[in-house]
Amino acid sequence: MEWIVFGALALWLLVSVLGAILVKSPVHSILFFLSSVLAMAGLFLSLGAELLAGLQLIIYAVAIVVFYVLVITTIPWEKVKRFEGVYKRELAFGLPVLIVVFLLMGYMVLKGDLAEPVGVVEDNVREVGKTLFTSYLFPFEVASVILLVAMIGAILLGRKEE
Amino acid sequence: MNEFLVSLLITLIKIGVLLGVALGLGAYLTWFERKLAGHIQARLGPTVVGPFGLLQPLADGLKLMTKESIIPKGADVPVYYLAIMMAVAPAILLFSVIPFGPEFTLFGYQIKPIISDVNIALLVVFAMGSLAVYGTIFSGWASNSKYAFIGSLRKAAVIIAYEVVLGFSVLGVILIAGTMSTIGIVEAQIERGVWFIFYQPVAFILFLFCMLAESGRVPFDIQEAEAELVTGYNVEYGGMRFGALPLAEWYLNVMALSAIAVVLFFGGWSGPNILGPFSPYFWFLAKMFGLVFFVIWLHWTLPRFQAKDVTEIAWKIMLPLALVNVLVTAVVVYFFGGGT
Repeated sequence: MEWIVFGALALWLLVSVLGAILVKSPVHSILFFLSSVLAMAGLFLSLGAELLAGLQLIIYAVAIVVFYVLVITTIPWEKVKRFEGVYKRELAFGLPVLIVVFLLMGYMVLKGDLAEPVGVVEDNVREVGKTLFTSYLFPFEVASVILLVAMIGAILLGRKEE
Repeated sequence: MNEFLVSLLITLIKIGVLLGVALGLGAYLTWFERKLAGHIQARLGPTVVGPFGLLQPLADGLKLMTKESIIPKGADVPVYYLAIMMAVAPAILLFSVIPFGPEFTLFGYQIKPIISDVNIALLVVFAMGSLAVYGTIFSGWASNSKYAFIGSLRKAAVIIAYEVVLGFSVLGVILIAGTMSTIGIVEAQIERGVWFIFYQPVAFILFLFCMLAESGRVPFDIQEAEAELVTGYNVEYGGMRFGALPLAEWYLNVMALSAIAVVLFFGGWSGPNILGPFSPYFWFLAKMFGLVFFVIWLHWTLPRFQAKDVTEIAWKIMLPLALVNVLVTAVVVYFFGGGT
């Protein structure tokens, strides 16, 4: 029975990602992106990664996308000069990178460490917390310092000149 | 296979019951609110339709459904309709993690009166509470109207600020209970025989403020400030499409968040056994509607904050308070024990 749920969610994810790339209106595009983030959260949930699903919803679906939406909805798009056509040069540079990354990730998932299941985890939240604050304490703290720097930078840029 | 079908059937029945009760109560809260507002302002409220005006919500529903549909010029029609769904769906989904009573056995099947008992229940609450912002933002944007859009942007600013405070205010309770599952939190309170509001009074006040802000209630309702924005984001909607937006924001959200507050701070379904097997449900609903009553009471009593003050209160006063609360709770739990 599980493959039905997985298949439906995966199909939803693919359709919304394609929609996000292919539709013309930026607002529709961000809506498709939001839908793909929700589908991803559903996938995490169906795979038993509950904490990831919850964080996906809170951090991506709300905190991050809301800022995109704020910016995109306030721009008067009918007045913006837009490029119609295909980005040829960008495609020529991007496609090889995309293929290499796809192959690498495919290899990692099928053959590498990621392919080995760790075993069923009882309490997702507790395990993730333990791992973050023991094995990965240093990268975790470094990441928070980087975020703090970004925050100070944003405040500096946004402050009013006296 | 058979067991799977049975559990599917039970879940479907639970969803049906919950939808019926939530939407029905949501509709009747409009009657209750108008009646209460009437008495607060020394009026009578609805009296004409039915005894005590009890049939007024039905009359309103019929009126809303038979109205002409007017879509503003230049509106983005698919998004205009989608926004209604995006406002109503999260408000209903909030109910899926609320436990209304203890587990019981019926015809040999164990039944929990909660739709999904996941151990990230509180994260789901935060996520759904703030996903509702998209309904507001897109309804304002899609209507192609200045007033509606200003309302949307204000709501977005409010949600971003209060969502952070909401998350931190609840952390204290999670630390004490040692779990994020709603059932686990209620059981932790019953085990200890004390409601968490006595351990976390500051957290409860912060939660209450965030609840008012997220459901667009006075004194934080700057996104629909009637005097300056007509009624904000839903001004270009008509008929039942208009009716759905306040139903979701003012009634379903308030009910669901009150229920969450009961779970977190008021011991959920615990209470003296006065009605036999129904007493847990009675206590849960009584506490929940006590809070709903309090919210509506505030709504018709207090004036509104200025738009710039609302976000300032959140970032400069409430967030530091919430952080201090979390810190103190963590230290106390570390030294005196707490969660498992």
